[in-house]
Amino acid sequence: MKRYLVKRIGYMLVTLFVIVTITFFLMQLLPGTPFTNPEKLTDQQMTILNAKYGLDQPVGIQYIRYLGNLVQGDLGYSFQHEGRTVSSMISDRIGPSAFIGLQALVFGAIIGLVLGIISALKHNSIFDYGSVAIAVIGMSIPSFVFAALLQYYVGVKLEWLPVALWEGYSSTILPSFALSVTVTATVARFIRSEMLEVLGQDYVITARAKGMTENQVIIKHVIRNALIPVVTMLGPLAVSIMTGTLVIEKIFSVPGLGEQFTLSILVLDYSVIMGITIFYSALFIFVVFLVDIIYGFLDPRITYKEGESA
Amino acid sequence: MKNSQEKEIGRKDIQNQNAYIPEEITADMFVKAPLDPRKSEEIGTPSVSFWKEAFQRLAKNRGSMISLVLLVLLIILAIIGPSMNEFTYRGQNIEHSNMPPKVQGLEWLGFDGKDAKGIDQYAEKNVKTNYWFGTDEFGRDLWTRVWKGTQISLFIAVVAAALDLIIGVIYGGISSFYGGRVDNIMQRIIEVLVGIPNLIVIILFILILEPGIKSIILAMIITGWVGMARVVRGQVLQLKGQEFVLASRTLGASNPRLIWKHILPNVMGPIIVTVMFTIPTAIFFEAFLSFIGLGLQAPLASLGVLIEDGYKSMRYFSYKLIYPAIIISTIMICFNLLGDGLRDALDPKMRK
Amino acid sequence: MRKKIRNSALTLGMATALLLSGCNFSNSTEKVDDDKDNKVNQTLNVTEPADVPTLDSTKAHDGIAFTVLNNVNEGLYRQDENNLPIKALATEHKESEDKVVHTFTLRDSKWSNGEPVTAKDFEFAWKRVMKDNSPYAFMFVTAGIKNAEAILNAEKDADELGIKAIDEKTLEVTLEAANPLFQTLLTFPTFLPQNQKFVEEKGDQYALEADGILFNGPFKLVEWTHEQGWKYEKNEDYWDAKAVKLDNINVYVVKDPSTGTNLYETEKVDRVELSSALVDQYKDDENFQTLKESGLVFLRFNHKHPVLGNKDVRKAINMAIDKKGLTDVILKDGSSPLNGVVPAGFYNSPDNKDYRELNGDFNTGTVKEAQEAWAKGLKETGQKDVTVSINIADSDDQKKVAEYIQAQLEDNLPGFKLEIKAVPFAQRLEIEKAIEYDLSLSSWGPDYSDPMTYLDMWLKGGSANRMDYYNPKLDELVAKARTESDLTKRYQMLLDLEKILLEEDAAIAPLYQEGESILIREKINGVLVHPTGAEFTYKWASIKE
Repeated sequence: MKRYLVKRIGYMLVTLFVIVTITFFLMQLLPGTPFTNPEKLTDQQMTILNAKYGLDQPVGIQYIRYLGNLVQGDLGYSFQHEGRTVSSMISDRIGPSAFIGLQALVFGAIIGLVLGIISALKHNSIFDYGSVAIAVIGMSIPSFVFAALLQYYVGVKLEWLPVALWEGYSSTILPSFALSVTVTATVARFIRSEMLEVLGQDYVITARAKGMTENQVIIKHVIRNALIPVVTMLGPLAVSIMTGTLVIEKIFSVPGLGEQFTLSILVLDYSVIMGITIFYSALFIFVVFLVDIIYGFLDPRITYKEGESA
Repeated sequence: MKNSQEKEIGRKDIQNQNAYIPEEITADMFVKAPLDPRKSEEIGTPSVSFWKEAFQRLAKNRGSMISLVLLVLLIILAIIGPSMNEFTYRGQNIEHSNMPPKVQGLEWLGFDGKDAKGIDQYAEKNVKTNYWFGTDEFGRDLWTRVWKGTQISLFIAVVAAALDLIIGVIYGGISSFYGGRVDNIMQRIIEVLVGIPNLIVIILFILILEPGIKSIILAMIITGWVGMARVVRGQVLQLKGQEFVLASRTLGASNPRLIWKHILPNVMGPIIVTVMFTIPTAIFFEAFLSFIGLGLQAPLASLGVLIEDGYKSMRYFSYKLIYPAIIISTIMICFNLLGDGLRDALDPKMRK
Repeated sequence: MRKKIRNSALTLGMATALLLSGCNFSNSTEKVDDDKDNKVNQTLNVTEPADVPTLDSTKAHDGIAFTVLNNVNEGLYRQDENNLPIKALATEHKESEDKVVHTFTLRDSKWSNGEPVTAKDFEFAWKRVMKDNSPYAFMFVTAGIKNAEAILNAEKDADELGIKAIDEKTLEVTLEAANPLFQTLLTFPTFLPQNQKFVEEKGDQYALEADGILFNGPFKLVEWTHEQGWKYEKNEDYWDAKAVKLDNINVYVVKDPSTGTNLYETEKVDRVELSSALVDQYKDDENFQTLKESGLVFLRFNHKHPVLGNKDVRKAINMAIDKKGLTDVILKDGSSPLNGVVPAGFYNSPDNKDYRELNGDFNTGTVKEAQEAWAKGLKETGQKDVTVSINIADSDDQKKVAEYIQAQLEDNLPGFKLEIKAVPFAQRLEIEKAIEYDLSLSSWGPDYSDPMTYLDMWLKGGSANRMDYYNPKLDELVAKARTESDLTKRYQMLLDLEKILLEEDAAIAPLYQEGESILIREKINGVLVHPTGAEFTYKWASIKE
């Protein structure tokens, strides 16, 4: 196990390096400049600015210089927000994203679990169809429509919760709820499908035969085993939800990271693009690793021997 | 075939004998069945293939069948809908801008031509023709545009599903089935694909490619199937160690047979659920691509594009959002119920 | 089992608390209720669509930062309600005979750290702009300040800029030549002073937080939470503090227009801008208003294109588009049709007549006339069917405009086919700069309040030309107008420039002048909206009963 871990971490670093490299060169292929107010910059000014930031050098040299700084943990300064470091921008904005993301995961997992279990236990009944319909509408109508409806009905009409802005805990509920819709749908659908599968397994029949109550069977055997594909999907989904989503953050004026990422690509803020890419990829790779480990716990049959899968 | 005929004859004999009940059962009452010893290993009932049986089971599922009918109806409407009235999807008429929906005879359902303030716009603007789903700000007929959009979105759905099934399932399958180094490298490739910001690649595409269906497909090829590959991998890893697979392997089953007969049917549930997630994601991914310039060329619009447009003024012109949203939800619910039916039908353990 | 659950609930709770502490909630929830003397609460709540990247006046480059700077700082001049320059920190402004040397006398005023504002502060800030090659350094060239152009071209040192602090209160600025625009330009935030000691103390963190900048204007910035908003408070030390009525202004960063209206409906904010999709819903509201803006939206033609290079073709395209339909039915946001390059309502001649009224409309006509010009143009170029593409940015408005134009041109001009090619803004600009387009949907925001800002962009090789347009007559006349100090003569030149561009060459196809539709509460009084530089001045704003 220890050797597996060391090896695996080595691979994680290599993967990250490949991502950094490819992203760096792809990004440089995009036409445009990272400087602010490009519409009014004269060619002369451009030349001076490019020289100042070393952008007049060949891309290869810029890349090596970037790697050099990266190894020292320096992500550089933003071009658009002159004077602000990329790391401070990420650390300022990941908090809100992570918070509503985590909350959305909790909401979504609870509602999804309930819907999924009802669906599976009342298989092919009206309850099943009903909960399928709820989950499906949840995934086929985009979250921004829900967000806008929630904002209007709960915020403006009922005045139960703040419409938007980032002012205290109550303002996190609506965005989390809007964001949780995808999670709900994912959990509900996968739990249903997997539970049906597991319900027919021999060990479930054995458990029932042993005289366990139905509730015990469901909790101890069925749900635990049904969780595997959910974990597979939920891991990466959690990363993307917790690192922020453009639309929800925009609608609820949440000062999160998702909006920043898209914006930095659109305005070609090189250092910010790289910084957030590294942050996001590292998180993703780590979560995939965690998911693989969790497999082992959830299902003792999957093992990672040396040489196998690593 | 011969075997079953013989059996039938045997049954008839028993029925005849039912006429009287012997008082005592003696050994001479038994006659040896004419059994060919060579056929002793053969199975009695006609061998129904797994897939055929699955189909029969699917046909018995009420939810799935209703969904199938609805889907067929929607497809027909998507095909003939755009030519059901005199308008085209691109013809603008700004004098008829933002007309609410109106259908003769369906006024009670809200198709009364009244706007959010209750004013009959048709009377107000003296418009004689009825727009069944209303018009957008350019005065384009939304009925035509919605069904045209349904065509496109259905196409996107099929493509997305196909990519998922072809690339995703095979990729995930190979990765986990062979395991070891293969799995390791293939999983790292996925991580790289997910790690590189999609938007950068798409913007590069915009600059290189012509906007249109081809570019959309290409964009979906990059990452559209990753979720599926991961789910399939997770499942296969789990199944690989199970007794029935080991047994089959021990008995000398070839790899293709192992995958096709034993593993695939057992992964079907998650595969179907994942496809059902890919489809709406792809439909809205297409809308996003169209917005940033890689997708469809305006004035062509998909359901995703129409929903995004409608959303912006949803409180005042709710009809612009509602009809495409209803259609997309119906399509998705039907797909899912059908998928659920399929899942149940394909699940070997659900056999009764 | 139960114990386990309780434990995990506890951990979750702790994690929540931990996360919450990292959430940077802004703490402006408490409403300021100072009912001293039963006065109306003089608090204004507004939204802005983005955060401010930097408040360093030498580096600021966006309208929002300009607005903040305009309200927390004070320069030599500021814009009044008619967008004309009025003396602010300058009490006296003397010109030499040839109008080249300008001497300003400053009034007594203080920075928020108690130090006096001196002529040195201007010299320091202006030279800093040139030293750092800042985004708006070209404003010094436009203003014609001595050596500015040479410094920008790296031929001279920034210290040689034509500005000198004679003593504490006297500032001398030398121009290359007389410049009638000089005063107008001085209202621009790039010309604000900075306290050298403070700037150097803060280093590269200057003006990135509320406590990283000094104030000498009507308001002070007391709070600034990035991406969430900021808060102004009345500056009691301001030289004209008597005129300032508002006690507080809360600004919230709201990026989605419909979120803005929802906040307006819940009385959280007092003024919001509407997107065109929302106009229908609110146009009958008693607080609905539309304002004219000074931005120009137009079609660029690639003058090297085999068909679009033809003047009659360009004229035909000009005439074939129903601009009124575009602004009144499609956009509805207060924009108005424009048949010239200089927008209406902002730029008056010396005898107070509007530029647009004086010059009238160019290249207007019926569809039939358009088709005639089209046929003529096609004949001259020897083409029958023309397929061109239009380069647009991926914004809602640009898409709508492009779809509308597409239908108009394809319907009205036989044989014309238009393909829409949308790209993100940064790339649209690059394509434009490289002139790799047929048609490009462009917009232009003026830099200063004078028609020249729309007219000198068409000079040969100018960085805003971007379409290979060249007419020596125009270049010559621009050069003349720049130094003409007889304002009437100069204005005539400005009128003639537009005639060269549009009557003679039909070089571009203007579409509309931007507008803004807003909801503003009745009780709000005196918020000034400017077409250039800072968008708002709150100095004279107040809340009515």
